Amino acid sequence: MTAIPALRSRLRDERVRTWLSLAPALTVVAVLFGGAVVLAGLRSIGLLSPVAGDLATGPSLEAYRSLAGDPELQRAALLTLHVAATSTVLSVVLGVAAALTVHRLVRGRRLAITLLQLNLPIPHVIGAVAILALLGQSGLFARVGARTGLLDAPADFPALVFDPWAIGIIAQYVWKEVPFIAIVALAILAARGDRLDDAARTLGATGWQRLRHVTLPLLLPGVLSAAIIVFAFSFGTFEVPLLLGSSFPAVLPVLAYRRYTDLDLAARPEAMALSVLMTVIVVALVLLGAWLARRAVRADRADRAGRGDPGGRGGRGARTDQDGDRPDRTEVAP
Amino acid sequence: MTAIVLEGVTHDYGATRALDHVSLEVGSGTVTALLGPSGCGKTTALKVIAGLVSPTRGRVRLGDRDVTDVPAERRDAVMVFQDHRLFPYLTAVDNVAFGLRMRGVGARQRRARAAEALERVGLGGLGDRRPDALSGGQQQRVALARALVLEPRVLLLDEPLASLDTHLRDDLRALILEIHREHDLTTVVVTHDREEATVLADEIALLFDGRVHQHGAPRSFFERPRSARSARFFGAVNLLPATASSTAANSTGPDGAAAGSIGPSSAGSDLRLDTPFGAIDGVPGAVGSGAAWVTIRPERVVVDPAADRVDVHRVEGRVVAASFLGDRTRAVVDVDGTEVTVDVHDDALIDAGPGRSVRLGLPINALWTIPRESSAPQPEARPADPPRGP
Amino acid sequence: MSALQGTPLPDASPPAVSRVDRATAAAPPRRAPRGTVVATTLLIALLLVPFTPLVLASVSQGYFFPQVIPETFSARAWRLVLDPAGGAWTALGATVRIALTVTALSLVIAIPAGRTLGTRTFRGKRAVELVLLAPVLVPTIAVAIGIHVVFIRLGLAGGTLGVVLVHLVPALPYVVLLSAGVFANAALGLEEQARSLGASPWRRFVHVTVPLVGPGLAVAGLFGFLVSWGQYALTLVIGGGQVVTLPILLFSTASGGDVAVTAATALFHGAPAVLLLVVTSRVLGGSGLTTFGGVR
Repeated sequence: MTAIPALRSRLRDERVRTWLSLAPALTVVAVLFGGAVVLAGLRSIGLLSPVAGDLATGPSLEAYRSLAGDPELQRAALLTLHVAATSTVLSVVLGVAAALTVHRLVRGRRLAITLLQLNLPIPHVIGAVAILALLGQSGLFARVGARTGLLDAPADFPALVFDPWAIGIIAQYVWKEVPFIAIVALAILAARGDRLDDAARTLGATGWQRLRHVTLPLLLPGVLSAAIIVFAFSFGTFEVPLLLGSSFPAVLPVLAYRRYTDLDLAARPEAMALSVLMTVIVVALVLLGAWLARRAVRADRADRAGRGDPGGRGGRGARTDQDGDRPDRTEVAP
Repeated sequence: MTAIVLEGVTHDYGATRALDHVSLEVGSGTVTALLGPSGCGKTTALKVIAGLVSPTRGRVRLGDRDVTDVPAERRDAVMVFQDHRLFPYLTAVDNVAFGLRMRGVGARQRRARAAEALERVGLGGLGDRRPDALSGGQQQRVALARALVLEPRVLLLDEPLASLDTHLRDDLRALILEIHREHDLTTVVVTHDREEATVLADEIALLFDGRVHQHGAPRSFFERPRSARSARFFGAVNLLPATASSTAANSTGPDGAAAGSIGPSSAGSDLRLDTPFGAIDGVPGAVGSGAAWVTIRPERVVVDPAADRVDVHRVEGRVVAASFLGDRTRAVVDVDGTEVTVDVHDDALIDAGPGRSVRLGLPINALWTIPRESSAPQPEARPADPPRGP
Repeated sequence: MSALQGTPLPDASPPAVSRVDRATAAAPPRRAPRGTVVATTLLIALLLVPFTPLVLASVSQGYFFPQVIPETFSARAWRLVLDPAGGAWTALGATVRIALTVTALSLVIAIPAGRTLGTRTFRGKRAVELVLLAPVLVPTIAVAIGIHVVFIRLGLAGGTLGVVLVHLVPALPYVVLLSAGVFANAALGLEEQARSLGASPWRRFVHVTVPLVGPGLAVAGLFGFLVSWGQYALTLVIGGGQVVTLPILLFSTASGGDVAVTAATALFHGAPAVLLLVVTSRVLGGSGLTTFGGVR
């Protein structure tokens, strides 16, 4: 009988309530995502069966050994990194440029922003199909080229899809991610770009100086976080290279899928090992990127912790006014 | 010498006219306050001086140079904003050094000068903090230091104290005055608070509806308001109805009706006033003949004037209400149907309570006559306490 | 993974400027330089141009090289796609069912977590945020491969329930982190105000909490929906061909080689997503859409 009041008082405990509220979300992520990663790891080293039967081989690094000796893997890894890095850099550069341009609009800015985000909800499969119809050797561009007499046959058009440089894949990602980066940047600019710009002007900063010393530093944390998401995305998406990429070399996700669906069940542990490998690579790169980003913006959390300085902050009245001026929330990206 | 000249400056935001033919001169080394209620155009005027807003019509001169078409970054007119606008990604000292950096001052020198400026505003040890690790008052001090370190030709302050608590506001106000005395900076401060304007400024330009309504020394707004609106904005409580007629040939007529600024003047004195509480001769004012208000500050009303004083107009009344205000007692006295507010430092009035008869003297030279536009006093948007947060 | 990342906010409206003068509130009526207008137009044209060949191909008959405008127009592809007995409607039904279930589950799970993350500080908060973000970063195909065998054992592979469960992996992070942003920006102090004005818990919820965070949570839910809507890899592996959603149908159509039908299917798949985004931003009219803080 004493259990209920005891339970109640525990529920009133702030910490208990905090973790209770987080429990469902953490459980889902731990079981479905964490479980998947751990199981792939165990299967890759033969501790669990890689198929629905009971085919566990016992502890073995055979899958990794065989991958290490596979020339395709190295090329796949390089291609994947090339795709992800190029897509990210192009998306960031073009996206920021797009945001700066659109932000300068006076009339029609809202309309431009609305149009800008139209392709954001478009699934990647559609994007891939569209890029194929646009850049393929019998795509729209090739047709326009033929009509204007620039080329005679589809084969004269440069191979932009199924090509070794993955241009079509990168084009699809850039097409999808430029608006994403631009929208992130526009939100930051709208929140306070103009106000800081005005302040810098009266302090004597010229147009270029304002871009270099005000606008870009202001955009940096938010855009970097977005860039990390773009990188992880163009690293791991599977349907786009499947539709637009060459079959050899393929990117890592495609390679993993092929090994997984290989008729030879012996390739399954390799698929598991590839999954582990991709996870490790992307997590390592993201952590590295986040670390570099933090160094770049020198976001010093200790400062925030020391906020309650005894020097006294000016009470509510002094603070509320500056709410719009809070630093960007960069919590999400690691 | 004038440091800033606005000549017939008009500015429209779309269909809204924010500034309407504003002409203003600011003397070199002085502090001028642009005062007025919300939406009167004062911040627009400041931004026109800064170069952040281009006037639709009119010219702007800084010193002897026409800067109307000079962009903000080349005007050497630094603005301190109400919301401080510190760069969130820079430390306090780097914020202060920003302007020097734009001028190409070397890293070591600009950091040294910035540190010095921070010291000057009382933030010596906090140079390495980021803006979000500073309190509101500290942020505003950093913003001030960021402007001062450039030793600008003109310092523009936009409601620099409005977002601060009372005690912080007093501190910063004192600091601004101190620094001004040290550097003799030509300063323009925008405020909606008449007290702040009075304490800070050598001259006040009172703006209503995008126009300069009255321009002069702070004292003139209390003693020689140009209009009922101006008087009420400065807290006048005694607007007593009267009919004025000029008595002597030396009357200069209704100069109060002219547009533009007027200074305090004794011109137009020697009015004869007919009031519900008797006729008064020789009253000064900015009005010709006709309906008028006669004003007097509550503390200038004399209770029980000595029998031999000849410079006062004597009336009798009955105390309607009285309240203790800490350093004085404010009483409302009914004088022949007109309510006169009186401040006294003697508690006798309030002790006696309402209903007591009292004799009052209105010193003639403390009276000031202004035009009466309509029959009843219009409720005016008073400069209320500064808002606390949104 | 999903069709979108992060939070395109349909309306990047600046926070309201408080008080002071008109001068601060109103933007100066500077006109944008002509180059800016041209560049913006070009940008938007480039973003829309990939849809052009889809539209052209979908209404063509024998759209052969080097036709730019089809020489023969035909409604054949659209008739096939829109045929009530055809696979597209079935796939649409499956996609909507799965996406709605994923959205509902995500919201139920995400709202308590989002409120905590958005309004409280506690030890380990950053670690929690990282853990919740991780599924967005890791390739979905890795997750699919890792969990497939267990799902087969549990009888979840090849069924809608299994697909719904794995869709939670990429959808939930977005919904949680967006909700956190919504709660962080909401003036939840109003709940206390309502309490002191005598409002019961239920009335506080209906009259204060829901109006405050409802629009923002609707946007969070929209993203969960869209993530599921565009999901391919997870559906392919876990659904194992038994669960045919629109992305699966589109992919197999594209592999089939009928250009016109592929184009029509792509547009059929994309249109609802765009429509949903446009309608949501219209209905919510900017309120609650400034909840960018979540995923940045």
